Amino acid sequence: MGWGDRLAKVYIALIILFIYLPVFFMIALSFKSGAKVSFPIEGLTLDWYIKPPTGYEYSAYISIMHDKNFFTALNNSLFVSIVTALLTCLLVTTTALALRKRIVGRDLLFYLFILGFIVPGVALGLGVTFMFRLFGIESSLLAVAAILTVYTVPFGLILMMSRFDPELATYEYAASVLKASPLSVFRRITLPLIIFEVISAAIIGFLLSWGEVIRTQFVMKGTGTLATYIKNELSINPITPKWFAAGTIIAIVAFIGLAIFAYIMSRRVR
Amino acid sequence: MGKALETKELVKWYGKEVLALNKVTFDVDAGDFFVIIGPSGCGKSTLLKIIAGILDYDSGKLYINGVDMKNVPSYKRDVSMMLENYALFPHMNVFDNVAFGLRMLGKDKSEIEKEVKEALKLVGLAGLEKRMPLELSGGQRQRVALARALVINPSILLLDEPLSHVDYRLQRKLMEDLKEIHRKVGNTFILTTHVQEHALSLADTVMVMNTGVIEQIGKPEEVYNNPATVFAARFVGEINLFSAQIKSWDGELCYLNTEIGELKANPKNKNALPSGDKVAYAVRPERVKIGEEARLCDNKIEAKLVSYYYFGHYMEYVFQAGGNTKIKVSVPTEKVGNLTLGSTYLLGWSAKDALLIEKPCMIEGLDIEEVIYGK
Amino acid sequence: MSAPQLKMGLIDRVAKYSRYLLLLPGFVLLLLFLLIPLSMIVGISFFERFTIAGPETFTLKNYIAFFTSPQMPTILLNTFGMSLLACFISFVLGYPMAYFLVFRVKSARARFFIVSLLLVPFLIDWSVRVVAWLPILGESGIINYALMSLGVIKEPLELLFGRSALLIIWPQTYLLWMIFPSYLALTRIDPDIINAAKVLKAPPHRVFLDVTFRLSLPGVVMGFIFVFVSALGDYITPALWAGGIQTLGLSVANYAANFVWPYAAALSTILVVIALLVLYVLLKVVDIKKLVY
Ligand SMILES: Nc1ncnc2c1ncn2[C@@H]1O[C@H](COP(=O)(O)OP(=O)(O)OP(=O)(O)O)[C@@H](O)[C@H]1O
Ligand SMILES: [Mg+2]
Repeated sequence: MGWGDRLAKVYIALIILFIYLPVFFMIALSFKSGAKVSFPIEGLTLDWYIKPPTGYEYSAYISIMHDKNFFTALNNSLFVSIVTALLTCLLVTTTALALRKRIVGRDLLFYLFILGFIVPGVALGLGVTFMFRLFGIESSLLAVAAILTVYTVPFGLILMMSRFDPELATYEYAASVLKASPLSVFRRITLPLIIFEVISAAIIGFLLSWGEVIRTQFVMKGTGTLATYIKNELSINPITPKWFAAGTIIAIVAFIGLAIFAYIMSRRVR
Repeated sequence: MGKALETKELVKWYGKEVLALNKVTFDVDAGDFFVIIGPSGCGKSTLLKIIAGILDYDSGKLYINGVDMKNVPSYKRDVSMMLENYALFPHMNVFDNVAFGLRMLGKDKSEIEKEVKEALKLVGLAGLEKRMPLELSGGQRQRVALARALVINPSILLLDEPLSHVDYRLQRKLMEDLKEIHRKVGNTFILTTHVQEHALSLADTVMVMNTGVIEQIGKPEEVYNNPATVFAARFVGEINLFSAQIKSWDGELCYLNTEIGELKANPKNKNALPSGDKVAYAVRPERVKIGEEARLCDNKIEAKLVSYYYFGHYMEYVFQAGGNTKIKVSVPTEKVGNLTLGSTYLLGWSAKDALLIEKPCMIEGLDIEEVIYGK
Repeated sequence: MSAPQLKMGLIDRVAKYSRYLLLLPGFVLLLLFLLIPLSMIVGISFFERFTIAGPETFTLKNYIAFFTSPQMPTILLNTFGMSLLACFISFVLGYPMAYFLVFRVKSARARFFIVSLLLVPFLIDWSVRVVAWLPILGESGIINYALMSLGVIKEPLELLFGRSALLIIWPQTYLLWMIFPSYLALTRIDPDIINAAKVLKAPPHRVFLDVTFRLSLPGVVMGFIFVFVSALGDYITPALWAGGIQTLGLSVANYAANFVWPYAAALSTILVVIALLVLYVLLKVVDIKKLVY
């Protein structure tokens, strides 16, 4: 192994460490008995996870498993992110398939889609608020999903279009010369060849919408998604290890989910 | 015999710059083995793709078996095509690739199995059914593509350079097989190539193309013996070409001034050419005699032997005459004498064997000398 | 084959125009949730009031007010400077990561595994991830604790509040935004081109600068744009973690929260124009379309 490979290994490890460092601290401190989120750890407890509430504490001190709002927000988040994932994967696929052909105004359209990411979140949030106000539309989780889709599609689009096999069109032509109808061409040639990217687009849609606060915050009323709920709680209430417990639960679920997904996908990766 | 294919003034532009087909008009008889030959970039693949229906044309007409093909999607046309870059489906193994078209036609399983096996055997790939395209060599891929197009057995089979990537032995075998399949099935084959040997030996009819236009259509021997343009002459077989000017006529015999001196020709049905016209004077290398034999010929020339190429069954000598003009002479191996490089010999050929070609090529505005010597 | 069969069926017609039909869903979404909202903020920024009945009284006051306000230079500097710095930090951290992933991690499985690892923290809530830096960088976090017990400093450093917070939180939040397009651009480089450069005796740093880096520029620029506009549009980090450092984004949020709609709209418009200007300048330098076509 050359020094280059060694350097690469060390570097990759460091970046992963950088990203995971706060996660480790989060997990460790979620078992801490005191209310302050700092060292030293005086004692270990599961209170932040499962302690039944007495009914008199501030929300910041209610254990995560007994925080009703947390579960409402989690539900909202799951709904928004799943809808966004589906929308993203659908729109990215259709748009990418259309944009790979030479069509009038292709560049303009591409930039227009990219614009969905370029317009700063706070500006778009405000614009959507105006639109709802002017037309008297009630905000809903579906509207949130739609707004987040505008933001996730560019990412998925770039991923899919840059990974397209340059020969994809040739395969489709070959299939149609071999008597495949347009539907068969799509089902047997196009889709199998881009399925990896289609799934990736869905995952991107899920991940980006899961973490998005700014756009959601502007449009969403009530408990909101997990991201906006926790952000609001943190900005008005004391910071307690409860939220680390919440993060830890999500992290564990995420890990299991990703491990399953990675296992499935790694059998497909060449 | 009916027409399998008719085209009328087909025009194809790529963008605003590239005119790939410029009013291409030709017919292909049903059951013909039709070979399109032309240099790289002349529009062969474009033409085939248009016939197959995977490319739109800008204007003109296209009829297959007498039916106008405008707006007929490619899968409904009675054609199949082997694409130039094979386009084997990367997610299917060899068997599935070859079986694809049959499945699309809704044939049943046992039949598909049988036909695929047969086709793979034909192209010499039996036993490779389970391989993925990425695990094949270039030539093997080409043969899978060939098998894939063959199994469908359409009334017109389009083959875009089906022999370009296989070794010589296999080329010969596949040529024989193609001819045999063609004879057996009796459908129309349209094949492109830029190898003149393939064109001459496979074709019932040859079409010579040049940057978007047709130079000549005819039987192989017609095109070889009577090229319509300088371009066609140069592209089919070896030929010696001299830029010439007609000096005078003596009955059937024509006297011309060329760069290597005065030459005579006895061209069939070209008596109308007036004196003073610029033409190309052509003679095939196998018609030129060397030494003793040359003395009796109408045209005689002293030339220095500058190099030679051994081709097995014949030898090609390159002579230099009148300054810089090269003359090629081919001699069957058993008749090869003892010639020494650098010596001067007498070359000669009969006036009957000389060709006069008045048209440089079918593209307007090109000079004869430009086509003979290149720009 | 008989003639009627040869006619174009419905499916063929749809297939023929598929490239336009396929654009439709995406375009409808863009129209409803991007173009209309955008034109609304631009429109409303030119009015005095925005009530339930609609906007009232055309004016340029909002823009004049912003450009003559004494905080304007600071706000613009904060907005621009901090976002750009975040971009550079993300680039310095993220590009080598993308490079190593593409050229040094040989096994596709390992690469897939690492990318998955990078993604997991994304599912952990963003605010929690930010708060999780507290025990490390906070006033009583381990860094301050270590430095103080070693006697290097007397007062705890304000690492997580003020400007430095932006430079820690933004790069870690948006690092993937940089890694991802760079990675895509690098995977698109034909290894044979790099080999050709090596064969032509180019020294390693020339190979990198003239070939690899240059060919990956569309991705890097895309990454820059992504990180830059994400930082531009983020008003929460400045508000919560940077002690209310005034940025354009935060101003928009503040005015919107107080229902000063037209002024918020004017600030938003300025924000959008800045984003577009930066995009325009970058596009003049590098053709990001190369990343996708
Ligand atoms: N998609 C395209 N866009 C623009 N120009 C094209 C396209 N495809 C082909 N051309 C141009 O059209 C002309 C004809 O191309 P075509 O592929 O038909 O040539 P060909 O005769 O098959 O050549 P070859 O023997 O190299 O395969 C060429 O000049 C080529 O550069
Ligand atoms: Mg070709």
